Amino acid sequence: MDIILGYVTTILVFFFTYNIFTLGLNIQFGYTGILNFTVITFMAIGGYVAAVLAMPKAPAGSGIYYILGLNLPWPIAALGGVLAAGLLGYLIGQIALKRLRSDYLAIVTLATGTLLYGLIGNGTSIFDGWQGLFNVPQPFAGFRTWTPLGYSIFFTIVTAVIFVFLWLFANRIYKSPLGRVMRAVRDDQDVVEAFGKNTFKIRMTAMVLGSMYVGVGGVLTIAYITALSPAGWTTGETFVVWAALLVGGRGNNFGAIVGSFLVAVVFNEATRYLPQIPAHPNLIPDIRYVLIGLAVILSVYFRPQGVFPEKKNTFFEVPLGDNSKTIEEHLAGGLSKVGEQ
Amino acid sequence: MATISNDPSTQVNVALEVESLKKSFGGVAAVDGVSFSVEKGTITGLIGPNGAGKSTMVNLISGALKPDSGHIRLDGHEIGGLEPHQIGARGLIRTFQISREYPDMTVMENLIVSAANQGERLINVCFRPSVGKKRDRELVERALHTLVTFGLYPLRNEYARNLSGGQKRLLELSRAVMADPKVLLLDEPMAGVNPALIEKLGEHIVGLNKELGTTFVLVEHNLEIVEKICSKVIVVALGATLAVGTMAELRKNQAVVEAYLGGDVRERVGS
Repeated sequence: MDIILGYVTTILVFFFTYNIFTLGLNIQFGYTGILNFTVITFMAIGGYVAAVLAMPKAPAGSGIYYILGLNLPWPIAALGGVLAAGLLGYLIGQIALKRLRSDYLAIVTLATGTLLYGLIGNGTSIFDGWQGLFNVPQPFAGFRTWTPLGYSIFFTIVTAVIFVFLWLFANRIYKSPLGRVMRAVRDDQDVVEAFGKNTFKIRMTAMVLGSMYVGVGGVLTIAYITALSPAGWTTGETFVVWAALLVGGRGNNFGAIVGSFLVAVVFNEATRYLPQIPAHPNLIPDIRYVLIGLAVILSVYFRPQGVFPEKKNTFFEVPLGDNSKTIEEHLAGGLSKVGEQ
Repeated sequence: MATISNDPSTQVNVALEVESLKKSFGGVAAVDGVSFSVEKGTITGLIGPNGAGKSTMVNLISGALKPDSGHIRLDGHEIGGLEPHQIGARGLIRTFQISREYPDMTVMENLIVSAANQGERLINVCFRPSVGKKRDRELVERALHTLVTFGLYPLRNEYARNLSGGQKRLLELSRAVMADPKVLLLDEPMAGVNPALIEKLGEHIVGLNKELGTTFVLVEHNLEIVEKICSKVIVVALGATLAVGTMAELRKNQAVVEAYLGGDVRERVGS
């Protein structure tokens, strides 16, 4: 029983962190139209930086090397990780958002991600290279004496709470004037610019916010697994997040949840139960990617807007239940009372 | 950066002034020293044959292109070389030759999002959501007035991508109104529009000019509507000003007729 519960909590943590990644990408792509093809790099940076802030100095002579090792308490380390992801988003934005858009921007993000992947993998003294970081201290370990299951359940609850908070905030952005301008930038950047709005600033806001979201997911991932190496954040992982957003419905945060469930949980986890073929150990992971790709193709073909498309936004209506006057008469009388309900 | 011009020709009633503006692409001088001024509160036409450099001028004035040399002044302040959003924020709003609505937003949203100062700041999202809500109420009311004026009210909750070509033209104009511009630079607003709607668009432009005092610069190929609504017309050819006057005056101007028909008309007609 404990094993099943432990498994369920692990899947739930995955589900919530993937949701957070997808929300971050939705702010960038679904709201603002920024093609970020290196989502997972922000997860890695968020996770790594939080880890090296929380871990003590690498023991000399152990053959393990990483920067910092400040042994800071987890809340500060986590904040540092999220800020680092946001800073990376800002730096990439400075390079890519100034002059580039659409496919060119996508290529630059993909290239930056690949560069950082190679840099972190080969630069053994940054985050211990291909070995990666392990034995990352658990954030809530010192609270009380945990059973492994109790810890997992507690962590799941914390992740869920963080997810709900981020979900509400993402919705709040969407409905705000800022979100509206972001969507206008997505639809036609030149026109927004011609109307006197600094589109670079708006796109940068979305870029940094989205990166910080993904960074939160990264911090949660490394805090839960207590380890992270480049094998855990290959380029393919970025497209799992993209698949989740496209299948679920870009621009709609509820769609992002459904997509994360379908792609990250159903496809990613269910394929683990396919029987292993000893001669071809990579067959099942490859089939997983094939299936995710198929889901994207089917959804783009049959439901291009995703399972849950973006909702139409309406404003208060005039006349409110009063059909005795025409709209012109209502407007002439002033609308001060209307819409306050 | 913006300095008040000491040029004696800059008078208080000039809304937009272009002086010796030049722009080359490679070796081709698209705009070659054009100068003109647009008085406040007028509807001024900007016409010229294809290749005269009109579109380049629009892009230079709106900041989409940077001039090689010359001056552009809005209300006496230099705007040449500024970013498009800086020029837009100073009250010069342009429209595009091809309708460019925000396709995945409703007609209502298209209007509201075009207004200045919506409180579209992250700090408002985080700590002061009421700022945006309060402003939204005002904007919705203004948008409703505008939609009723332009006959788009029944379409308010329709996605802009579903509008017809003519409705998109009306949407572009009504959206520009929401931005409360000082100068509205319309780049071929009548292109691809049926004659009945041309009339209607013309009436709207005249109406806005009278009611709100908006200065219009109308880049247009349809000379009939230019004659009808423009008090002054500037003719450009080969990137420079050729003539300025009313349409009636320009019809008698030999240089203008030649520029439109190409070559020496008398020679061709005579031979």
